[in-house]
Amino acid sequence: MNQLSNLGDGFLTVLTPMNLLWVFVGALLGTAVGVLPGLGSAMAVALLLPVTFSLDPIGAFIMFAGVLFGGLFGDSISGILMNTPGNSTAIASTIEGHKMAQDGRAAQALATSAIASFFGGTVAAILVVFFAPSLARLATHFGPAEYLALAVFAFVAISAVVGESILRGLTSLVIGLAIALVGIDGMSGASRFTGGMPELFDGINIVVITVGLLALGEVIAVAARRGTKEEAKLITSAGRLWLSRKEFRLALPAWVRGTTIGVPFGIIPVGGSEVPTFLAYGTERRLAARKPGNMFGRGDGRGVAGPEAAGNATASTAMGALLALGLPTSATAAVLLAAFRQYGLQPGPLLFERASELVWALLASFFIGMVVLLILNLPFAPLWAKLLKVPRHYLYAGITVFAMLGIYATSSKVFDLVLVLAIGLLGFGMRRYGLPVAPVLIGVILGPLAETEFRRTMAVSEGDPFALVSSPISATLYIVLALGVTGLLVQRSRARKKEESRLMTPVA
Amino acid sequence: MTTEPVPDRGQSDFLARRTGLVIPALLLVAGIVLAIGTFTMDVPSGVASPGPQVFPAFISVACLVFAVLLAVDVLRNPEPEQVGVRTAGRAATTAVPAGTSPAGAGAGDTPQAADATPATTAATPDRDTTAIGGATAAGEPPAVGGAEVEEPARIRSNRPAVLGLVGTVIVFIALLVPLGWIIAGALLFWGVARTLGSRRPVFDIFVAVAMSSSIQLAFSAGLGLNLPPGILAGVF
Repeated sequence: MNQLSNLGDGFLTVLTPMNLLWVFVGALLGTAVGVLPGLGSAMAVALLLPVTFSLDPIGAFIMFAGVLFGGLFGDSISGILMNTPGNSTAIASTIEGHKMAQDGRAAQALATSAIASFFGGTVAAILVVFFAPSLARLATHFGPAEYLALAVFAFVAISAVVGESILRGLTSLVIGLAIALVGIDGMSGASRFTGGMPELFDGINIVVITVGLLALGEVIAVAARRGTKEEAKLITSAGRLWLSRKEFRLALPAWVRGTTIGVPFGIIPVGGSEVPTFLAYGTERRLAARKPGNMFGRGDGRGVAGPEAAGNATASTAMGALLALGLPTSATAAVLLAAFRQYGLQPGPLLFERASELVWALLASFFIGMVVLLILNLPFAPLWAKLLKVPRHYLYAGITVFAMLGIYATSSKVFDLVLVLAIGLLGFGMRRYGLPVAPVLIGVILGPLAETEFRRTMAVSEGDPFALVSSPISATLYIVLALGVTGLLVQRSRARKKEESRLMTPVA
Repeated sequence: MTTEPVPDRGQSDFLARRTGLVIPALLLVAGIVLAIGTFTMDVPSGVASPGPQVFPAFISVACLVFAVLLAVDVLRNPEPEQVGVRTAGRAATTAVPAGTSPAGAGAGDTPQAADATPATTAATPDRDTTAIGGATAAGEPPAVGGAEVEEPARIRSNRPAVLGLVGTVIVFIALLVPLGWIIAGALLFWGVARTLGSRRPVFDIFVAVAMSSSIQLAFSAGLGLNLPPGILAGVF
């Protein structure tokens, strides 16, 4: 049980006052951005990246982990109390959660959701502790062809699943790949698309891209939407914040089912927790319909328990996949990968050997973070909702200032500020015309890796393209990918036909 | 422009419903730039094959292909004819971040009537418009948002606010080094808050200065980040 002793060491590292403080700060910040609609943990980590550069990596990463999970704990609070999910990951649990709140059971909905997040996250984190090292060992056998296959898998999976159309997802991906081309080619030393500007020789900084796309792009989108009507009423939550034994017994199987659904999705790159949360919601709904006592449509706790557990389980295993394989499976994971690179670390099989102290401290901080978040969220959920009263113009003005501060602080170059504005405008355009942002990040981060591995494979095989698919692992990955995309296309076209018969005009 | 949903008005309306063509146009330009850059690239001699041009050439072709595909998609599926049809409750929740105050702040400002320039989203100053689809929570693209919309409506963009915001950022970038962080940062905060609908300009000045000064103290003095002192160099 090597893992347990490693984890024990990890706990010893985290349980210092300073590191506990970072866990706490991360949890606070994460819950805050989770509660506030429009802000997500990916944006929060992107904004924190430059300003935490002077921290030691362990402190920074356990804070980022707190932000990641805090976002998932907090996003359902505003969903339940105001019918405004803080993030797309909370849409599924909002459906029943808000009905519970309208029914006067807001406190129970919040408790169900907080415990679900805790349960899903913790169980998945335990699985990560036991399986991530084996996954990493397996990954040490991966050669360039396998890594290329993994990257291609991530590209297509994330572009196909996120957003409404595969075309738009792939377009976003190509935008990301194009951005990543700028700079000096590491393998040959050729300067590519820099226009001779020395500022661009190192490529466009990943912090500039993430902050531009996620923070500034969102602020501009908010400006563009200003004056649109918003109807949101805060339902006050009163009464007991714990569940009765009966409610607990009803919710427990839903937590388990949600976790089971969520765990595998962390390893497949499908862009985060949207898909598993909706799958969990659908499962609970169908199961409840078979038995008496179905409260779906009127506020069923299981409709909150399942999706919330699934969302957090996915986030936990996604971190495992990021650490062991170096494969980001969501926008937040992509930003975290950028963070690792900022500190000169490369997630993947070797990370467990080279930076084992950091890895195990990070995994230990998951558990501590979950406990902190449960304490922060269970009794104080209604307090968090008060955060929604902060005037939005101050909030977004603050975000803009922090974005600019971070960009300038990393490089001290005014040129980067111009770049971040340009990328922010791109991010706004993409939001405006329904192009998902996550594939851009994946493209930017994995694009150079894919190119390098492609060229290595071809160089080793002396130009034989069959080397790309000849190994069993890469062949399997490509086959699974092809099957998955075909299945998705069939399912989409069926859904579209149904939709068209229901609606006169399809929504673009 | 009228506040009523506008029927088909020929050419300008045709484009107004297809402003999404901006993205394919951008891709087209990117594809061409990449192609030219790939052809004119100085490749150091003795580079192992495949060299630094293979991947860019591939991306360049991909840019052009997706520019065409997306353009076809936008042309065939224009945005809804009507501007500002009220959407059903749940659709609103997935799209627009809300708070108590923004609704109040939003009530006061009058979105200027946008002229029907083809290149913009023809916008009607309609208070009942609800932004749909497009942007949900930051960073997490909409997975399902659009699917729940009951009635289609064209997304209305508040162009003056966007221009004001972008202008503020440009002014900030220009003034950051000469004036220093405290003044430029305060200006940025003030300007963004203003374009996002704050109606207390004088009070905002204090908030903005407090904000930028505390950042200077915390990050420059505390964390050792490098911020330009500007004209206040001697004071700190």
